[in-house]
Amino acid sequence: MEKTITQKPDSKKQNLKIDSENDDESISKSLLKKFFIEVSSLTIFTLRFFREVLKPPYEFNELVKQSFLIGYKSLPLVAITGFIIGLVLTIQSRPTLAKFGAESWLPAMVAVSIIREIGPVITALIFAGKVGSGIGAELASMNVTEQIDAMQVSHTNPFKYLVVTRVISATVMLPLLVIFADAVGLFGSFIGVNLKGNVSAYLFFSQVFQSLEFKDLFPAIIKTFFFGFAIGLIGSYKGYNSNKGTEGVGKAANTAVVFGSLMIFIIDMIAVQITSLFQS
Amino acid sequence: MKNESSTKIRLGVFITLGITLLIIGIYFIGERQQLFRSTFRISGVFKNVGGLQMGNNVRLSGVNVGTIDNITIISDTTVSVEISIDEDARKFIKKDAIASIGSEGLMGNKALVINPGTGGKKRIENGDVIKTNQPIDIDSILVKLKSTIENTSQITGDLASITKNIEEGNGTIGKLVMDKTWQETFETTFINLKRGSTDFRLLMAKANDIDDVIISAKETIKNASRITSDLASITSNIESGKGTFGRLLMDPSTALNIDSTFINLKEGSEELKEFMKKAKNSWLLWGF
Repeated sequence: MEKTITQKPDSKKQNLKIDSENDDESISKSLLKKFFIEVSSLTIFTLRFFREVLKPPYEFNELVKQSFLIGYKSLPLVAITGFIIGLVLTIQSRPTLAKFGAESWLPAMVAVSIIREIGPVITALIFAGKVGSGIGAELASMNVTEQIDAMQVSHTNPFKYLVVTRVISATVMLPLLVIFADAVGLFGSFIGVNLKGNVSAYLFFSQVFQSLEFKDLFPAIIKTFFFGFAIGLIGSYKGYNSNKGTEGVGKAANTAVVFGSLMIFIIDMIAVQITSLFQS
Repeated sequence: MKNESSTKIRLGVFITLGITLLIIGIYFIGERQQLFRSTFRISGVFKNVGGLQMGNNVRLSGVNVGTIDNITIISDTTVSVEISIDEDARKFIKKDAIASIGSEGLMGNKALVINPGTGGKKRIENGDVIKTNQPIDIDSILVKLKSTIENTSQITGDLASITKNIEEGNGTIGKLVMDKTWQETFETTFINLKRGSTDFRLLMAKANDIDDVIISAKETIKNASRITSDLASITSNIESGKGTFGRLLMDPSTALNIDSTFINLKEGSEELKEFMKKAKNSWLLWGF
């Protein structure tokens, strides 16, 4: 009798343990499952984009409208960010360069940093925050309010009208914004150099262009197309496939930004590998 | 509709500005690499390019005039470097120009430095092979530097022992520097030297009178030469037996005469002695 009494709690404990292990396993399994489902559906979504982008009719007016909203409307934000980054980078780099007595290298160093890496990545991150979340939230709310379904009913291809235009706009507008950000960033750097020194604009920009080469400019510009594409595509994907309900809108906007930003860094890493492969 | 067109205009301006900025950037970067200027190409052969890379600058009198187009290894001791140079700089580069590898700064990139060559020569042509100077090999400099440092350390060691000796008053310089008696001796020597030099100066001032001395000396020498020539003629006369002295010395008959004269004289003197003896004894002269 005693034995059975003592054994009972033990067996209960064991059962509980097994249950919790099962739970952990199921959670990790479901996470893994979710991840693979996400990957496959994103790939299908991407393939669908490429199929739809080539098929007429083309939604030019919507493309222009989206380009205006995505590109033009982001310009002030991107310009301010670029200016501050140029200014701050210059001020921060000065003491280190001054240690080596190489303050005259400041324009060259800042120019290479801005053009190669900081301009594209910072702009893309800001772009992901503003545009990626915007696209995600907009499409998700359209999904929640069943506007997408309504489009389908009225013989308008919602994918073409909503997704393709936004992705193309993001892909084309981000490189332009990066060029603006680079230019404004260099201007900010010029101001930064002149805070504690006196360098003429001519000398500054001549030093900047002396230090730059095509191998600095082109890979940086080319990778921004991929950044833009990734941001547009992920935003659209998250919005288009959002859960029904208001919660889905917030989640779509949030994951669009997080996933988009992560993708920027992953693409950046791949890009730097490829460019260094060609440069060496 | 109006709203839509203003959207399009603003978007158009935005895109145009962006592309313009990109083109400006491309132009200025390309300007540096002479993409939009007319260039000509030459090449040079080096044993060792010392880290020169494609795209490095080419400098003529310190001015960037071109870039390195290509670097190819031809064999284990030859590296061919293709150089693209601005057409405007061609008139300054002559056929005998020499290319060498330098660097843009202490930590900067390598650069190809062109020495323009002599003025009279022809201009360099497209496709010419430029003469080259081999770059300075840092390793060989370091090896030399090492031996120099060793020598220097030996020299400084020697110097240290020398200064120690000096301080201890050993050797001439040591005594000179440290020994008081030596110093005094030197002082007096210098005073004497000074005095001597003053005397010498005075002497030199007097030396103006020497001219007269020299003139009289000249006269003396002239006279002496005349005397010696006279003596020469006299001796030649003597030798040839001319004159009394000549005959005396050279004529045997004179010698005989003299001999007989002396004999006669001797005989005469003996006779005189005899005579005198006799006279002494003679009464006539008695009393003397």
